[in-house]
Amino acid sequence: MSAVGVSPVGVELREQFNNTAQQRHAATMGMFIWLITELLLFAGLFLVALILRITHPASVTAAAKHFKFWIGATNTAILICSSLTMSGAIELSRLGWQRGMVRFMLATASLGSLFIVLKGYEYVVDWQEHMVPFFLDRSYALAGDSASELFVNLYFATTGLHGLHLITGVSILLVLTRQAAAPGYLQRHQNRIEIYGLYWHFIDLIWIIVFPILYVLNR
Amino acid sequence: MSEFLVRRFGMAEDDAAVFWQHMRTPARSFVMLLCLLGITVLCGATLPVHWIWMIEALSTLCMVVIVLVISMEVTHEPPLIRLFAVVGFFWVCILFGMTLVDYLFR
Repeated sequence: MSAVGVSPVGVELREQFNNTAQQRHAATMGMFIWLITELLLFAGLFLVALILRITHPASVTAAAKHFKFWIGATNTAILICSSLTMSGAIELSRLGWQRGMVRFMLATASLGSLFIVLKGYEYVVDWQEHMVPFFLDRSYALAGDSASELFVNLYFATTGLHGLHLITGVSILLVLTRQAAAPGYLQRHQNRIEIYGLYWHFIDLIWIIVFPILYVLNR
Repeated sequence: MSEFLVRRFGMAEDDAAVFWQHMRTPARSFVMLLCLLGITVLCGATLPVHWIWMIEALSTLCMVVIVLVISMEVTHEPPLIRLFAVVGFFWVCILFGMTLVDYLFR
């Protein structure tokens, strides 16, 4: 990484905009509006988890004891690290240091993938411990406790939806990294790195809420 | 930190100084987030008192605000975008507030 490899930074003006500042603001605004709809989607799931905690504390605590607290904590730390590397990629894109930016984006994708692997391992252990009540042909460890069954199903719905967002995020990031490595990319599309960064930070933000609501509060 | 970047990543001294100047705020937020996560994990692992959930909730709220304000740079955006970000969280507050008031006080 050296200032010798600095690329000019900018945005290619599209015909529907008056200037690049307007174009940047429109893109950021669109991303924020979409993220708000995503937030409301997840908020419904968080709310149901809290209501279950209030109405059936014993069942929820019994179910939450099976969740892997330390894997959840490690995954939170991993996503916080990935947010730092994404911020690094954004700052490097602003400076026009393309090679360093690509490396930081790859580091972010690697950390995201590590999260997915750990989450997958957690699901495998849940399967082995008979904590997958939605598989009707497999016995459930807390059979007869319908409130705990509901909470475990909610856990899978929430973490699964977050995982889906993360898998999509890593896939888009890898494609974006490939595109961003091309000469002249930052001269035409620098704002795409910033817009994507908002999505990645949002994934981090959602997990920061998921971890205490599902793993910590119910212990 | 600049020296670390020079030694570890082979950056030129001037480049490392410029990069660190840009990364100072994200690095600070990173440290704050890890500290708050540490508090949450410690509280969750030890459960010292029955009202510890309040500390955990406060710690989570602080983490959310840090990500929104520093990582997502909401405060640097134009007023219209800031308005949408605030309105989005306002709707979530209404959703949580109205529903939980019912369950907590019935």
